[in-house]
Amino acid sequence: MALHLKQLNIFKDGSLMLSLDATVNKGEVLSVMGPSGSGKSTLLQAIAGHLATPFSMTGKILIDNQSIDDKPPHLRGIGIMFQDALLFEHMTVEQNIIFAMPKTKRYSVSKKRESVSNMLEAVGLEGMQNRAVTTLSGGQQARISLLRSLAAEPRAVLLDEPFSKLDTALRDQIRTWTLEQLRCRGIPALLVTHDSDDAVAAGGQTFELLPC
Amino acid sequence: MIGYSNYFYRVTILARWLLLILLTVPVLAGVVGVVLPAFGYFPAIGANAVSMDVFARLFALDDAAEMIALSLTTGAASTLIACLCAFSLLAVFYRTRVLSWLQGLFSPFLVLPHAAASISLLFLLSPSGFFARLFTFDSDAIPSSSQSYFLFDELGLGIVLALIVKEVPFILLMALSVMSQPLIKEKINGYFNVGVSLGYSSISVFFKLILPVLYPQIRLPLLAVLVFAVSNVEIPLILGPNNPSTLAVAVLHWFNHIDLSMRLMASAAAVVQVGVAAVAIGLVILIENILAWLGERSWLSGKRTFGDDGLKLLSLFVVAGYAVLVAGTLFNLVLFSVAQHWPFPQVLPSGLTVLHWQSVLEAALEPIINTLILGGMVSLTALVLVLLALENEVLGSFNRAPDKAHSYQSNAGALLNIALFLPLLVPGVAFLYGLVWFQQIALKNAVWFHVYIAHIVYVMPYVFLSLAIAYRKLDSRYAMVAQSLGKSPIRVFLSIKLPLLAGPIMVAFALGLAISFSQYLPTLLATGGAISTVTTEAVAAASGSSMRLSAAYVIIQAVLPLVGFLLAWWLPGVLFTPRKVQINNKTTSPQPFRGS
Ligand SMILES: Nc1ncnc2c1ncn2[C@@H]1O[C@H](COP(=O)(O)OP(=O)(O)OP(=O)(O)O)[C@@H](O)[C@H]1O
Ligand SMILES: [Mg+2]
Repeated sequence: MALHLKQLNIFKDGSLMLSLDATVNKGEVLSVMGPSGSGKSTLLQAIAGHLATPFSMTGKILIDNQSIDDKPPHLRGIGIMFQDALLFEHMTVEQNIIFAMPKTKRYSVSKKRESVSNMLEAVGLEGMQNRAVTTLSGGQQARISLLRSLAAEPRAVLLDEPFSKLDTALRDQIRTWTLEQLRCRGIPALLVTHDSDDAVAAGGQTFELLPC
Repeated sequence: MIGYSNYFYRVTILARWLLLILLTVPVLAGVVGVVLPAFGYFPAIGANAVSMDVFARLFALDDAAEMIALSLTTGAASTLIACLCAFSLLAVFYRTRVLSWLQGLFSPFLVLPHAAASISLLFLLSPSGFFARLFTFDSDAIPSSSQSYFLFDELGLGIVLALIVKEVPFILLMALSVMSQPLIKEKINGYFNVGVSLGYSSISVFFKLILPVLYPQIRLPLLAVLVFAVSNVEIPLILGPNNPSTLAVAVLHWFNHIDLSMRLMASAAAVVQVGVAAVAIGLVILIENILAWLGERSWLSGKRTFGDDGLKLLSLFVVAGYAVLVAGTLFNLVLFSVAQHWPFPQVLPSGLTVLHWQSVLEAALEPIINTLILGGMVSLTALVLVLLALENEVLGSFNRAPDKAHSYQSNAGALLNIALFLPLLVPGVAFLYGLVWFQQIALKNAVWFHVYIAHIVYVMPYVFLSLAIAYRKLDSRYAMVAQSLGKSPIRVFLSIKLPLLAGPIMVAFALGLAISFSQYLPTLLATGGAISTVTTEAVAAASGSSMRLSAAYVIIQAVLPLVGFLLAWWLPGVLFTPRKVQINNKTTSPQPFRGS
């Protein structure tokens, strides 16, 4: 799996805001840095297919040499994560994760439950299936949020300052763990961040956006 | 850019158009159906010469001018006084703890139908009413017909009072809902802090800094209130003078006259009613301009107060007035509905019984069922269409070519805004009759359908306005996350957005029910009296002789919408909170974790 961004130009009200040409290989992380308002979040929304007025784009987005430009967001197979966990509050932890799992004949509900239980155990949250998400701590929510994204089996993941709301100790922990998860699943990722430590930890290329 | 078209998106477009059509077509068709007879075209009685004769006959009536003046003065005076009261309450109590208490005091008035409010005032103020009992100490006195200064008087003071009672809560709660929107709230709090730090009293900060931000946001609803005030029928019908009555009441009588040729007169008067509403709006705009000019001068004067003491006094007076009204009405109505024998001027009845309630409930069962079915159908339709139309706003911004998207969105938005206020800014008497005329030509016996359309015209704007704020405020990242998990737009709509918005959706539904419950004229006209609802029965009972029946109907009118709102407040928590919540101590403490 690899994510290709071919001569991507993003316009705001018709004038060029940023351009980018990059390839992110299997398991690699491309860090995107730049001042506030330079269009980092907009770039991620363009890739995920959420670009709306006043923005527009030209160029090609490919996953495994397959163009996804014409696909609606939900069929792109691109996971997106923000600095807030954005867990669905009307669902339990388990329901949040199962909601994300692809609908295939492969999994019965009991299989899905079992796999949730394994995922939770692997991140030290065993037995939390039926907790209301509002009763979790920030770090716990961040972990569930990533598990939810991974459960959808995405072909690429976009992260918009995912660690910026965590305190320093927790941030290191969650960052290490998140990057490891992405690496061992071989998922290409784009990481938007203000923190050069994040970019260093990610270990991949870094792309600097200029102020617009 | 993305350019995909899907089934769900088309459904939302359809819903948006249906919503526009349901808001505009009945009103416009209705206006045409009134304008034609007004100019002498009414084939049913052989009139098909177009002329101004009918208007000439109308203005030749002795009391035409008085009727017009009565409508205009009662409507304009009540709206202006209500604005003054509501704004002074806000200025005095904004950022105090009293405010939430006030919200509680006023909310029931918001959902109490106009008819019920008028009947309650009738009970308190009539010559044999509760206040007369309280202040009559001669036990042999008989109620005199001249003792009430407020009801049926030539100046329409009773009408003004009832309108004010209904309008102050509406304006206050509407303003508060605007002030609670995050962006506006932030701005207002900032202005407040700056103003106070510059030495302005909190009341003067409200009028000099906050009202200019707030007013443009509530202006259209305020004008809708004004139009209702100059043109409604149920309040002057119950509390107003008869000779002459207000123009709207005259229209009602002429339309229902056995002599069909009076229809022409009624139509002409209905057209004049539109003119009256327009004049009232013009008057208010003039006053707005004068006040804006004075306001700018007051910024320069540097005065740190703004009639503070007078406004505080007024606010206390208003709050006290409402407290007396609530207490008096509750006591009086409840007692009346269970009183055995209660001769004037005794303050308490001679004994209590629930017998009336048995007979009342028997008689009221059918109207209650009709009311619930009608309200339920209408609110459900409105809710579904409004939700889909709001979702269309979201999807529409992705589904257009980028250069066209902007103008499409703003055009559609402008059109919708006009359509939403159309039924509220065109007086009901001016289009409902025309609508009924067409409905009877097209589908003579579909009474339920006619009344359903007539109600939807009024329910839709309120459901839309109450839901739009919450819907547009919903964090769009939830939808992005859900879509990035592979869920289609319709799945995201159904299993993420609707549950997250369960609270506002239920409230909008309850509001729709309350609006439908309270409709008098649309129900009466569209059904020709064939379907009775709680509100039409209540007005009938009030002009009949049975005080007990009226009291019971008012109680039912007040209880039905309140039950709706209580359910709306309670249900979302029950339905959309994850059920199996267990706190497991072993795992709540932060633990190190390892990757897989
Ligand atoms: N809906 C919108 N309409 C108009 N302009 C917008 C909209 N959303 C963002 N912008 C503007 O587009 C530019 C890029 O915004 P974007 O959110 O991508 O910045 P960012 O690099 O993510 O900034 P930050 O680091 O603060 O998150 C900014 O100048 C912003 O003001
Ligand atoms: Mg950003």
